Amino acid sequence: MSASSQDNALRSAIYWRALIYTLLIVIAVIYLAPLFVMVVTSLKSLDEVRLGNMMALPLQITFEPWIKAWGSACLGLDCNGINGYFWNSIKMTVPAVAIGTLLGAFNGYVLTKWRFKGHNIVFGMMLFACFIPFQIVLLPMSQVLGWLGLANTTSGLVMVHVVYGLGFTTLFFRNFYEAFPDELVRAAIMDGARFFTIFWRILLPNSGPIIVVTVIWQFTNIWNDFLFGASFADFDSQPMTVALNNLVQSSTGVKEYNVHFAGAILAALPTLLVYIVAGRYFVRGLMAGSVKG
Amino acid sequence: MSFLTIDNATKSYGTVEVLHKIDIDVQEGEFLVLVGPSGCGKSTLLNMIAGLEDISSGTISIKGNSMNGVHPSNRNIAMVFQSYALYPNMNVAKNITFGLEMHGVPKAERETALQDAAKLLQIEPLLDRKPGQLSGGQRQRVAMGRALVRNPDVFLFDEPLSNLDAKLRVDMRTEIKKLHQKLGTTIVYVTHDQIEALTLSTRVAVMNGGYIQQLGTPKEIYDTPVNLFVATFMGSPSMNLIPVKILEQGGGLVAETTNGLGETVQLPFAQPPSDLKHYVGRTITLGVRAEALTDPDGADSKASHLVAIKSRVLVTEPAGSDTFVMTVLGGKECNARMRADVQVAPGEDVDFTINMDKVIAFDPETEARIV
Repeated sequence: MSASSQDNALRSAIYWRALIYTLLIVIAVIYLAPLFVMVVTSLKSLDEVRLGNMMALPLQITFEPWIKAWGSACLGLDCNGINGYFWNSIKMTVPAVAIGTLLGAFNGYVLTKWRFKGHNIVFGMMLFACFIPFQIVLLPMSQVLGWLGLANTTSGLVMVHVVYGLGFTTLFFRNFYEAFPDELVRAAIMDGARFFTIFWRILLPNSGPIIVVTVIWQFTNIWNDFLFGASFADFDSQPMTVALNNLVQSSTGVKEYNVHFAGAILAALPTLLVYIVAGRYFVRGLMAGSVKG
Repeated sequence: MSFLTIDNATKSYGTVEVLHKIDIDVQEGEFLVLVGPSGCGKSTLLNMIAGLEDISSGTISIKGNSMNGVHPSNRNIAMVFQSYALYPNMNVAKNITFGLEMHGVPKAERETALQDAAKLLQIEPLLDRKPGQLSGGQRQRVAMGRALVRNPDVFLFDEPLSNLDAKLRVDMRTEIKKLHQKLGTTIVYVTHDQIEALTLSTRVAVMNGGYIQQLGTPKEIYDTPVNLFVATFMGSPSMNLIPVKILEQGGGLVAETTNGLGETVQLPFAQPPSDLKHYVGRTITLGVRAEALTDPDGADSKASHLVAIKSRVLVTEPAGSDTFVMTVLGGKECNARMRADVQVAPGEDVDFTINMDKVIAFDPETEARIV
């Protein structure tokens, strides 16, 4: 009797598992379908795209759309592709991520290891930055950029992204350092290390997981930002996202869907790369930062 | 002039005073242990000596120089932390020499100091490893190495053995004692483990509630505790406390109580403390260590006053080297330390011997020892 009930339990467990996996596969297919269409279309010639069979694999693979999107597609009147904007994005994102992460780490260090009266209030106010919708600050920020003489420059965009990333980077590092043993800091003080030395030599070298989390988070957000790029950049400093929009919106002649999709994938590639390289640490780091002890 | 002077040191957080006017003089080469239950202020006091906590009033001076307001790294002291606090990103060699580097010691000198400390602690093969690759005992050694290379005036230890397993703890305890004998450096050591306190120290300060209850050699603390707190906190098993009535009999004083059979028994004092005569007719608390309550054959043959009483055995606990026998005296459960191979069984009525040379009388209201 017990053997048959065990059999039943085993069988129902298998059914459950089959059901769950089927569901997961269906969801994954739905989720990946747009990416599939993008990749497939970007590898087709325009003639083949016109056949209208969206889901079909390319009859003949061509990289022409990719080359065109990168080097010679027209954005408005300028027909040099998106590569210049790609570098604009790099020039904006890399410094913004580096400065934002470093400042966040520093804030986290002070807010946990050198507590002052009202540190919680300061931290609470910094958290506001995480909840303010970007649209609200467009006008005041453009005013500030004007005052600082940074309007329409890459440096201006870097500053904006640093300022708006600070809430999140501070939050990440504060929570991580909250669980960082105070005894290590005390030991360093006894050893004769001072404020900045402790930060550089003790805290920062032991912050690997949370640095990865912050970099991925900041990189994705800043790279994908459209609003600030469209609002505060001029033609020479526009990031990739704005260029992509211009590419798709350019209405000279036919809509080159294959080129558009190739451009879109190119625009998404760096964030994808960052995820693939560091994604493992991302999950691990999120856990390390959120669970105390 | 003492080496380390703690003079009237007080610590308050806001309006709450957690340490009350602490006075301790530590001589050069002394091994002082601060012991007490958690929250007694022992770690706070240690951190004040280290300079990691400000002193609210009073002074702490080393070699006659006041340390108030002096940065921890300029006090020429070194500290071993409970969690060892080794820097996880640096290897053992870097961990040990970090303090020297911070003090601007040239590289060649750092290297010599490192080799000396590594040799002394036998951690030479470990110098290239990261702390994560070390066992608990090895980390402990590295932490001590880090303190040693600084060649400090005073070593501070903050519960350094409490993260180790029981066997390793005993081994490391001996190592620390050996190290102290070899180097002769002044040590202030915090622990909540009373056995550590008694075995390691040259003097013990028993603390409770922000006060020093008693400061003395391990023998003084163990044999003549000043109050019930010290008596029960120090020693394992805890001192037996028996309510007894003091009577005058034939020119001497006797303590009257009941045994485990409900019969009245009388325990004549050998040399009663002089104040005890004021307690005639009153009930006091009689403190008897487990080894002063034993079987007739196990009793100290050098003792001058042994009193035999019969009592009933409740529980026996063979502990290898001894057998602990639980009985009831004066309505309280008491632990007797008998020989390992004593033949007693629960429920039996057997002979116990009390060594009256070793009993201590306490005033039950003030909890102070009657002297």
